[in-house]
Amino acid sequence: MSGMSIALLGFAVMLGLIALRAPIGLSMLVVGAVGYSTLSGVGPFMAYMKTNTYHQFANYTLSVIPLFILMGALAERAGIAASLFKAAEGAFGRFRGGLAMAVIGACTAFGAICGSSVATTATFGRAALPELDKAGYDRGLSTGTIAVGGTLGILIPPSVILVVYAITTEQNIAKLFQAALIPGLLAAFFYCVVIAIVVRRNPKLAPDVDARMIEPSVKRFWQPYLGCALILGAAILALTGKMDFSNAVIIGVAGFTAATASITVMPALAVALIVVGGIYGGVFTPTEGAAVGAISMLVIGVVTKSLSRADIFEALRQTAVTSGMIFVILLGAEVFGAFLALSRLPTLAAEWVGQSGLSPYMVLILMLALYILLGAVMDELAMILLTLPVFFPVIQGLDFGMLPDDVAIWFGILVLIVVGIGLTAPPIGLNVFVISAVARGTPISATYRGVLPFIVADVIRLGLVVAFPMLSLWLVRVLS
Amino acid sequence: MSEFEGASPIAATNLLDRLIARVAMLGGILALVVAALVLVSILGRWLFGAPIPGDFELVKMATAVGVFSYLPYAQAQRGNIMVDTFTGWLPARTNALIDAFWDLVYAGFGAFLVWGLVQGARDSLKNGETLMQIQLVIWPAIAICAALSALLVISCLASARRLLSSNA
Repeated sequence: MSGMSIALLGFAVMLGLIALRAPIGLSMLVVGAVGYSTLSGVGPFMAYMKTNTYHQFANYTLSVIPLFILMGALAERAGIAASLFKAAEGAFGRFRGGLAMAVIGACTAFGAICGSSVATTATFGRAALPELDKAGYDRGLSTGTIAVGGTLGILIPPSVILVVYAITTEQNIAKLFQAALIPGLLAAFFYCVVIAIVVRRNPKLAPDVDARMIEPSVKRFWQPYLGCALILGAAILALTGKMDFSNAVIIGVAGFTAATASITVMPALAVALIVVGGIYGGVFTPTEGAAVGAISMLVIGVVTKSLSRADIFEALRQTAVTSGMIFVILLGAEVFGAFLALSRLPTLAAEWVGQSGLSPYMVLILMLALYILLGAVMDELAMILLTLPVFFPVIQGLDFGMLPDDVAIWFGILVLIVVGIGLTAPPIGLNVFVISAVARGTPISATYRGVLPFIVADVIRLGLVVAFPMLSLWLVRVLS
Repeated sequence: MSEFEGASPIAATNLLDRLIARVAMLGGILALVVAALVLVSILGRWLFGAPIPGDFELVKMATAVGVFSYLPYAQAQRGNIMVDTFTGWLPARTNALIDAFWDLVYAGFGAFLVWGLVQGARDSLKNGETLMQIQLVIWPAIAICAALSALLVISCLASARRLLSSNA
């Protein structure tokens, strides 16, 4: 039997095992081990495991995963989401549907200190859902908004999914984080537009503005806008070399003060700016950024007395479970990937697609469509780890009129967008399950109905980033 | 008497559960220590132009040990991702049997990991392998990983046993 047919058989067997309740990481391990041994003998596989098990995990880049998870877990419990939400209420409160938009705004900021969509969803489920209920929002709109807002946890860097993509495809994490920013902000903007349209078409979903009693922590609604404009403007001018770095910092700080104007959100936003800015500017490696972020969150939580000892232990416990889960899949993917590489399936698939006469964009669109389908029914992390060993070489072999490294970054952002869709799309959307666990009494179908208009926006955004790669690559160019 | 007999294995499992949870917690604390180490190293680099020697490699070592300390707990919490869409129609007892089977397979793999890590630790000890920047031998870290993998095996066996004995 040729390597190719062994590899295809391996894929089929693995899918069978997964359907039979085998943990995904374990099925990749089993099939990878058997496949590897079939292709190159049991002895070499034993030797491979002997040298690899320790050194595969003794990896500096991997350390970023538990650290980002720890940072997010601490942020989840440090009461930051609630104060961000309060501040965002001030900015959006005057629109119909403003509280829902405030969820999106606060999730965007929270996404810059949390790299996990599940953590973001759970946090805002607890912090924002009671407020939305009190104000009289329709439950489907509320839970749908929070489920979608949760995806901003990964869409806005830092992002655990992007780290996994970077590790699997041997790309630069910092560059992927840079590339994710504009598409991520675009997502937040689109979500707000969706909310505006939905409540306009069906005013019953959201209360009248006057009917609500809000006490936003930011009194003047234009402040956050002005502040963000100042920060962005200063950053762009400094990065394009049109302004001194020191002047840009002064304007940035002024903008920051205007944007927050509230002592409660300032530390959180400061941490976000330091971590994301530090990684972007090359001041920190991603691991260093994550370490700084995790310790800052701990200090903020302890100083503001929002983190109890039990909270800290719970954050550590959650770090252990989530990291353990991710690393089992990474180990499985490593062994499975080694088996596939031996079988030469990825190379052959890339050659075959190259000769098939399909245009590069056609192949890309087919892959993304497949990802959307797969993401609807399976775990997103496992999905990308399963497919990347084959899809990535295929994409790298196609000519999009860009440098291979640019294609790799761009494809990473596209994968991130489809993962975001998979997290909310029926029938299996992890974020929807998470919010349903918080919002007891709301049928899951109501949440899915609430999510649908946002998915339309996501598909439009996916189309935009496919059509205009510069949306993701521009910032990488400017910062390099 | 029968009550007494029934109680002891449960107590043993609880002890095991506590041990596994403690180990994972230590791994979590290790992540926090790594974060602090990195932070001190950054400050040292900025303020005194001197990062902690070997910080990069210490982080690597701690990452490996941390990961292996999480695995038994992730298993005990059934934190490993699986798909139950296609087997939802089967009786709960059948699904429990299937899950127990996979726990045993995982235990087998854990045993394989123990074997590989013990070999790796022995080789490392024989070669006197140390970190590049500081004279710290690597083999104890690999040996700890081997011990943690052994705990993973026990964790898998315990969860398989729990599944097999539940509502039998």
